[in-house]
Amino acid sequence: MGKVIVVTSGKGGVGKSTSTANLGTALAVLGKKVAVVDADVGLRNLDVIMGLESRVVYTSMDVLEGVCELEQALVKDRRTKDLYLLAASQKNNKSDIQPEQMKKLCLELNETHDYVLVDSPAGIEQGFQNAAAGAHEALIVTTPEVAAVRDADRIIGLLQNMTINNLHLIINRLSPEMVKTGDMMEPTDIIDILSINLIGVIPEDKEIVVSTNRGMPTTYNHKSDAGQAYKRIAQRLEGEDVPIPEFKAGGLFGNWFGKLFNS
Amino acid sequence: MFKRLMQLLNREPKSKSVAKSRLQLILVQDRTGIDEEIMETLQAELTEVLSKYFILEQEQVEMELEREQDSMALVANIPVLGTKVRRPIEA
Repeated sequence: MGKVIVVTSGKGGVGKSTSTANLGTALAVLGKKVAVVDADVGLRNLDVIMGLESRVVYTSMDVLEGVCELEQALVKDRRTKDLYLLAASQKNNKSDIQPEQMKKLCLELNETHDYVLVDSPAGIEQGFQNAAAGAHEALIVTTPEVAAVRDADRIIGLLQNMTINNLHLIINRLSPEMVKTGDMMEPTDIIDILSINLIGVIPEDKEIVVSTNRGMPTTYNHKSDAGQAYKRIAQRLEGEDVPIPEFKAGGLFGNWFGKLFNS
Repeated sequence: MFKRLMQLLNREPKSKSVAKSRLQLILVQDRTGIDEEIMETLQAELTEVLSKYFILEQEQVEMELEREQDSMALVANIPVLGTKVRRPIEA
């Protein structure tokens, strides 16, 4: 018995699928048995980000329709022991799956895996409702921008209504340079506003594009700052006490300048 | 450096502070469902009631929903010029 964690954000394009792929990989590298589930029916892309697209035979829809067993639909990632992908159907719509069905699938996977990571589609409609239906916890991905934080706030409210109260925030694509000059909200600003637990900050990293091109999660790249940050989040999920590096306004001008005008 | 000096001279707040205060305002509306129009109606009705008891400086009335960490407060600034009611003098 493990944990079912939904990875969600409200806003699209903030890095849900990238985070799911990298955390799934990082947890598997730590020796955990992991299933990553693409809940974006009709617009799947977790298979591509993980580089497993050519090996998908069955989808969650096939399992629900009794075309195959759950076991058969799981694509094994050959690069890491005990990492599996359950792909979403590309031919169906989000309304073809009901929250109850999704919940059943997640809980069944939960029996045999330490972690079930569910990659939610953007939005707050049925796709999100399905993705969150079986979740015990949620990872909320945001970027340090007004629109993304606003949508994260909305999603937090919806998750709390669904009595999913164990919520963790991932701040993605943070530029340490812009934070330093006061042109990007720093993690404490975002935590002030959303008042939930911060589990990690992923710095902006060009390696993400390169690794997505190759279908190779950045976690495998020891030189990538983002990849290493995902590894630390995996360790924190495992209960290890790994400090989050601080990103603050500062530098030559930043400190007194900031104090002068931001107080 | 030049840009920073210009900002220093213009006293323009840093964009991250602008982002944060915009977000705080947006979220008060998102979380309560109270928009600008409702606030104006509320202000009109409140001043109407208050005007029975006080002489108000109508143009200077300000009302805002503010968020402080976990709680929210309706903060109003209502300048009073005088009162309209007098306690009746007991015989």
